[in-house]
Amino acid sequence: MWSSLDDSRVLTVATDRLIAILTLLRQHKRAGHERGRLCAVAAEVTGQSGAGIALASECGEFTSMCTSNKVAQRLMELEITVGEGPCVDASRFSGAIEEVELASSSSSRWLAYSPAAEAAGARAVFGFPLCIGAICLGALSLYRDRPGPLTEAQASDAYLMASVAARAVLSMQAGAPRDMIGDELEREGTFDFAVHQAAGMVSVQGSMSVGDALVAVRAHAFANDCTSSALSVRIVARELCLDPETHEWRDAGVRDE
Amino acid sequence: MAREALLISTLVELADNLVDNFDVIDVLTVLSDRCVEAIDVDAAGVMLASPGGELQFVASSSESMRVLELFQIQADEGPCVDCFKDGKAIINQALNAPDTQWPRFTPRAIAQGFRSVHCLPLRLRGRTIGALNLFRTEQGPLDADDVIVAQGLADVATIAILQHRTSLDARLLNDQLSNALNSRIIIEQAKGKVSQLTGCDMDQAFGRLRTHARNHNLGLTDVARSVVDGTLDASRLDQLTKSKKS
Repeated sequence: MWSSLDDSRVLTVATDRLIAILTLLRQHKRAGHERGRLCAVAAEVTGQSGAGIALASECGEFTSMCTSNKVAQRLMELEITVGEGPCVDASRFSGAIEEVELASSSSSRWLAYSPAAEAAGARAVFGFPLCIGAICLGALSLYRDRPGPLTEAQASDAYLMASVAARAVLSMQAGAPRDMIGDELEREGTFDFAVHQAAGMVSVQGSMSVGDALVAVRAHAFANDCTSSALSVRIVARELCLDPETHEWRDAGVRDE
Repeated sequence: MAREALLISTLVELADNLVDNFDVIDVLTVLSDRCVEAIDVDAAGVMLASPGGELQFVASSSESMRVLELFQIQADEGPCVDCFKDGKAIINQALNAPDTQWPRFTPRAIAQGFRSVHCLPLRLRGRTIGALNLFRTEQGPLDADDVIVAQGLADVATIAILQHRTSLDARLLNDQLSNALNSRIIIEQAKGKVSQLTGCDMDQAFGRLRTHARNHNLGLTDVARSVVDGTLDASRLDQLTKSKKS
């Protein structure tokens, strides 16, 4: 199978890298840090500032599975809100994406995403599709707080991590009852469905479709520089609502003064 | 794609296009070799369970016939059998003669110069499919870090083998996952609508969706979808479970 010494040497290096990833995953589990460990290990092994994993639901929409820190969470929500970014592109084109200098004025790839991502603290972002052969589940995104490309070693680790993550996600889903997210996947992910509960509420408040309400919630969060999940928590707690007449957002605190 | 990246993805995706089992043996041999190079052991080998549940030797780091025999006689008795049966690692098992635990295996292992044996289960999601067997000529325990690396290696082997066996399931699993995500999203959206219309909290909203689904013999996701698209009035869901008429 391996016709040259070079090939077997490369395989040896590849095996080492894979062992490193699996060892880190195991160490996180042993330390009780199961939740989000795929993202934590992705950031650690590639040496970047943070990582996020998005899973594709229907119609090319994404659900965030996990993020390794607050900035990564913000970037993930940003991508889902504006429909632009490394996960979207990596998934759509089934290939790796890099934007090594977000602040560069020549970067016109993501008109909405780039300035907001930079404001959130990222200077370079990368996306890798989560695929097993031709089957793609979503994408892994990495960000760094300084500009510049990934080194060849870091890129190799990222490809490998995306591959491991794709397999890990599917194996955590295996055996789950029909139509339900696997227990292990729920435990290891930081899925946040509050934005969908909020969209349901707002659709009634504003007499609009749930799809439109979802856009409205995300747009309001984006415009006010807060995360969709934080905004949704307030909506679900009935602190914030959409006025049925004016279609403007207002505080809905019910307090007897 | 850089050559190294290509070979890396080949390593992990090796099962996707496997023509015959020879490739799996090759990779397991390479992994066994890496074990011996990377940690403080002198021989490594992989045993896998046949469909009938018997352990079979598959690959090892050494081609010495005497060492191979040590793996092969473990079909009936030895650390691999115990490890496989219980699914638990056997670490730092000193080989002392006389030994009644493995009366056939132990004297042969000692004759080969080995002083301790370690066995790590090849496990994934509660299934044990085989064992990674390690031998040392040194006295004394294996370093804790070496044990972690060895387990990582066992994990690599397990994934490689299970990928081979379940590669056809990846598409099915992916469909199941995206269906599960879609369902969850629709249900959460429906809960929001019910909660807003009736003033109940999210848990109660979920309860109403589920009760209505049961009473009308409908799927929960279907009820949720009807609520979301407006064909079912969210304020008029059944709140009480109907008793079944006999």
